[in-house]
Amino acid sequence: MVKIVIDGKDYEVPAGANLVDAAKNAAGNDIPVFCYHPKMEPVGMCRMCIVELGMEEIDRETKQPVLDDKGQPKVRWMPKLQTACTQKVTPGMHVRTATKLVEDARQNVIEFLLTSHPLDCPICDKGGECPLQNLTMAHGPGGSRMVFNDKLKLDKHVPLGDLIYLDEERCIQCARCVRFQDEIVGDDVLAFHERGRSLQIITNSDPGFDTYFSGNTTDICPVGALTTADFRFGARPWELTEVPSICPHDAAGSNISLSTRLDRDAGGKAVIKRVMPRQNEYVNEIWISDKTRFGHHFTRSEDRLLHPMLRRGDTLAPTTWKDVFARVAGDLKAAGSDVAVIAGGAITNEDLWELKQLAAGLGSERLGTWTPTYGGADLVAKVGVGKGTNLKDLGKGDAVLVIASDLEEEVPMWRLRLKQAQDRGAYLVVANARHTRLEDFATQKERNGKPVSGATIRYNVGEAAHVMHELKTRYPEIAEKLAGATNLVIVAGAEGLTLDGSKALMQAAANFLISSGHVGKANNGLMSPLPGANGMGLHYMGFTPENTQHIMANPPKVLIVAQAEPGEDDPTAAAWLSKVETVITLSLFPDKTTHYATYALPIQSFAERDGTFVNGERRVQRFYTAQGPMGEALPAWKIVAGMREALGQAKPKVSAAAVMLEISNKVPAFAGCTYKDLAKVEKQFPDVGGADLYYGGTAYDNKGGLGVQIATSADAGETPAVADVTLPAVPKAKDGELLLLPTTRLYNRSHVFKPSVLVHPRVLLPYVELNEADAHKLGVQPGDVVEIAFGDDTVRVRAGINGTPAGVAVLPRELADKATPFLPTSGTIKKVTEPVLA
Amino acid sequence: MTNPIILLRGQEVPNIHQYDVYVQHGGYQGLKKALGMSPDEVINEVKNSGLRGRGGAGFPAGVKWSFIPKNEPVKYVTVNADESETGTFKDRLIMETNPHQLIEGALICAYAIQAKAVYIYLRGEFWDVAHQLDQCIEDARKDGWVGKNIGGGNFSCEVYTHLGAGAYICGEESALLNSLEGKLGQPRVRPPFPAQKGGGLYGEPTVVNNVETIANVPWIMVNGAAEYKKIGTEQSAGTKLYCVSGHVKKPGVYELPFTATFRELLYDICGGPSVEGRNFKALLPSGGSGPIVHLNDQVLDTRMSYEDTAKIGTIIGSASLIVMDDSVDITWVASKVTKFFKHESCGKCTPCREGTYWLDKVIDRILAGEGRPEDVKLIENVAKNMAGITLCALGEFAANPIIHTIKNFPDDFNQHVAKKAETKPVPAKKLAAAGD
Repeated sequence: MVKIVIDGKDYEVPAGANLVDAAKNAAGNDIPVFCYHPKMEPVGMCRMCIVELGMEEIDRETKQPVLDDKGQPKVRWMPKLQTACTQKVTPGMHVRTATKLVEDARQNVIEFLLTSHPLDCPICDKGGECPLQNLTMAHGPGGSRMVFNDKLKLDKHVPLGDLIYLDEERCIQCARCVRFQDEIVGDDVLAFHERGRSLQIITNSDPGFDTYFSGNTTDICPVGALTTADFRFGARPWELTEVPSICPHDAAGSNISLSTRLDRDAGGKAVIKRVMPRQNEYVNEIWISDKTRFGHHFTRSEDRLLHPMLRRGDTLAPTTWKDVFARVAGDLKAAGSDVAVIAGGAITNEDLWELKQLAAGLGSERLGTWTPTYGGADLVAKVGVGKGTNLKDLGKGDAVLVIASDLEEEVPMWRLRLKQAQDRGAYLVVANARHTRLEDFATQKERNGKPVSGATIRYNVGEAAHVMHELKTRYPEIAEKLAGATNLVIVAGAEGLTLDGSKALMQAAANFLISSGHVGKANNGLMSPLPGANGMGLHYMGFTPENTQHIMANPPKVLIVAQAEPGEDDPTAAAWLSKVETVITLSLFPDKTTHYATYALPIQSFAERDGTFVNGERRVQRFYTAQGPMGEALPAWKIVAGMREALGQAKPKVSAAAVMLEISNKVPAFAGCTYKDLAKVEKQFPDVGGADLYYGGTAYDNKGGLGVQIATSADAGETPAVADVTLPAVPKAKDGELLLLPTTRLYNRSHVFKPSVLVHPRVLLPYVELNEADAHKLGVQPGDVVEIAFGDDTVRVRAGINGTPAGVAVLPRELADKATPFLPTSGTIKKVTEPVLA
Repeated sequence: MTNPIILLRGQEVPNIHQYDVYVQHGGYQGLKKALGMSPDEVINEVKNSGLRGRGGAGFPAGVKWSFIPKNEPVKYVTVNADESETGTFKDRLIMETNPHQLIEGALICAYAIQAKAVYIYLRGEFWDVAHQLDQCIEDARKDGWVGKNIGGGNFSCEVYTHLGAGAYICGEESALLNSLEGKLGQPRVRPPFPAQKGGGLYGEPTVVNNVETIANVPWIMVNGAAEYKKIGTEQSAGTKLYCVSGHVKKPGVYELPFTATFRELLYDICGGPSVEGRNFKALLPSGGSGPIVHLNDQVLDTRMSYEDTAKIGTIIGSASLIVMDDSVDITWVASKVTKFFKHESCGKCTPCREGTYWLDKVIDRILAGEGRPEDVKLIENVAKNMAGITLCALGEFAANPIIHTIKNFPDDFNQHVAKKAETKPVPAKKLAAAGD
């Protein structure tokens, strides 16, 4: 800490802190800024943060401050005003932020900015939460002396890509968007073009502005120059109600704010107008991925299942909830304990608890996860990243290993934050059977003028566990650096692995962490990109992939499929689902699973109800009700509670909060996780939200809670023991066939993403990626339509040639209109002449 | 004493731009001598010579070199040959007529700071000069003066030329470095300064010196710092290339010691006003970026040194003397210079980007006879609001012509707006409304 003097008062601030931040945090002094952003390097462009700056004079001989007549340190003031954003605080720094000189200069900068600004606030999406507007009100001259009628006339509708529009007139050339892409994301696809007053933002990429994080640029834009295709001209910020929520799409559990409004187009009901990041420095800081931002349209999709449906012969017919509960209770009673549940990753803890209670009441513990590919959640509970972990704290001396996961596609927020950990000096190792985006960063030696360190490991498909288990002998240098790191985080996925392979990998990773002492403390331990927003919740509630495999092999009399889509995901679904006497589906959409259902029951989406998820870092987080229900849909837990009531098990709880209260009392992991606990907030730094004049935005402010991180057993003091790793059989292709490697794409054709029409141009056509030699052998050219045969099934996709390992065909899931394998599978590929593709 | 010729040796020695001729006349002996000294000794020699940067700011070259950290493995020398200041055309002459002296000087500098490479950054229009320099570099390489083990010793250094893409701002050292790195030519935030780790080319400590500065170095090495210091004034050692343009009989580039006065240059050498019957009126001693002065007797009798020009309220800068006789309307000059800076503003910082445009608009209005009496105050105020808060010196330069033309030639402005005031006064109310 160093002592500085701001406007005559002494403050203790962290040494080396940025002056704008220091003044804000220590003195509550809002030095106005446009280009400066606390998450990025200062550039000193806008000149708005100018202050008077002085240093105490130091006697060269005695090294003591020189004192004036009054015994005060003599201050040598700099002749010119200085930009605060480019200053790091040093001892004896004196700052004046409120003098006439400073106020005049700020006023002048505003006046300069407004000479080219269109002042179209009445039609601007940013109006109402615009830093330029706010700062003009606070510091502006109140009028302009530039009285020419030819304000800058430029293009107001420049699509930088499919998702982001640029209004060239409004841009004040602060470069926040350019720097965000360059510094934070590491995809420098935005740039300046031309010079002087013609300076404009352009995109370098083809297709335009093509990253998974592009929406964040609209948040940090201090004017209305960048807007999203989703929200532009959609509503005024002051009409919006901010509802705290959690991204339902992946394991990051990004904190979001659903900006809702009573909308004419929705018959006067509250609907989501946009999704904004909500600051949680532990989870997503102030960023969200474009999927989080634009993937909310399913909540109001016309295709949603709206009424409880009952099978009548070949069709499903609507019925009443009362009828459903009575009939289901009858079926369940008849089945006795031959009942099982399969739940998907996007289901809430409250739903899972009721499902578990229902099954338990019937004497069944057959609770399975969907998809049944990711093992080792139990190890995340034991040696996961320690309580208090913040990926933001990883830096010099620390290390990260990402193995068997394409984080850019699976959990983009983690990829963003781990890339930044590497920027701060962490050693990043990426191990996979194929090239992934994160690998690009791991191979770089230098970024933005700073050295970065990393390494990559390539292995044969399915050998992730082998590599992890034998890391010390196979890659001694890398293993040594990882083991010797101050903090070590391992992110272990399941790409290219069977369930046994995934379990072995997780155990091997846990063993590595345990033996190198990187468990039971913050910023150390294991993470897994479990599918869905509540992969860890499934574990804590007793749902396992092993159970699912057992259920698939031994179909029960009654199967409840809760927010899971085996019919969509599993090419063999027909074989085992059709053996189940009574399938009860709880789903958002009628899908290929409801095809087998006796009862197809509509559930509410995350936006229509409240609930909790546990993210991949085991943080229990609460989301709130944002909009009214679609049709007769109910929260899944209420549906199950209705069944339980009909069975005579228990009276339904009155609210999700009451369910969580019971969970927190009965499940040790959730102790201290009542809704009240989860809603707690604390002051966060950097201070970007609230009523601030300068960073802007009305959504950042976290009023919904920071969540509670569940302690690992290692955190709790239990000494974890290294366990044997049973190395699995490596999946192999049959002779003359290729090994189909299922992968995840962030943008896909799943039911929850399809309704986000504006992202459609970015969803790839179904494709398979081949090795050049294999393609040559098959006589396949890039762009050819090929038929892939696996088991008894076939699918037609387009071929691409992109350096995949020999003998391996990368076949992303959820792109084609029918199920493709979710485990590595042997298959054949042949070119077909008649393209039968949408 | 006769005027010493250090830089324009092409005037004395025909074809000195050729390697053989240059070597016959003592070429590369300065480098040879430097290689026999320790790097620190070379830096001290340059420091002692009093050589100041010829790009405009006049920063002592040796001191700049001494800022380079010794323990960094990678360092660079960048020669600023972007020569874009209005009325400046001296570096081109050096590079055309005496290119080896530049290359030799750059290598001495490289040795002094132990640089890996020298980059000569030329403005895009100097493509022919660059081609000639490339040839010179190859000729010097044949004799072992460029590349590995220079002069048979342990020091190795490459020399490259690089062409800019036509932006004045790339003469600003940090914008130059950005441009050299392939980035947009915009100045960087300082600190870190180019000489510091993180601030130079590719983040490595870098010396950036003007062509003329570097071209002085071989002479200093051969003849010694003391000899060099004998030339010129107390604080401005050596000779300077003065670029004279405008209303004189014999415009051109002249090499004179800093002791020479404006009168000696403009009358004795350039022959006085170009049109008989007209008198000198004004002088821009440092192109468009320096303060304009009345070309009166006091100025004429001032020595053209850094310290003497400061006394008369201007700078010698890059010594681009633009001479104007009494036929010139200074408002027009202010307009021309403002248009230049408007065109060349990089747009990175607000006051310069918007201010230059605004100034230009108002001056155009004044020149067109549409000016309002308060317009003069307005542009003066706008210019003052720019000065001192822009990111780099260009904003300062852009404010200079307005502030100083109004200060020194108020009548030239007032005559325009006075006309307007007589014919069509603008009601104050209307102005206020427009400003709301």
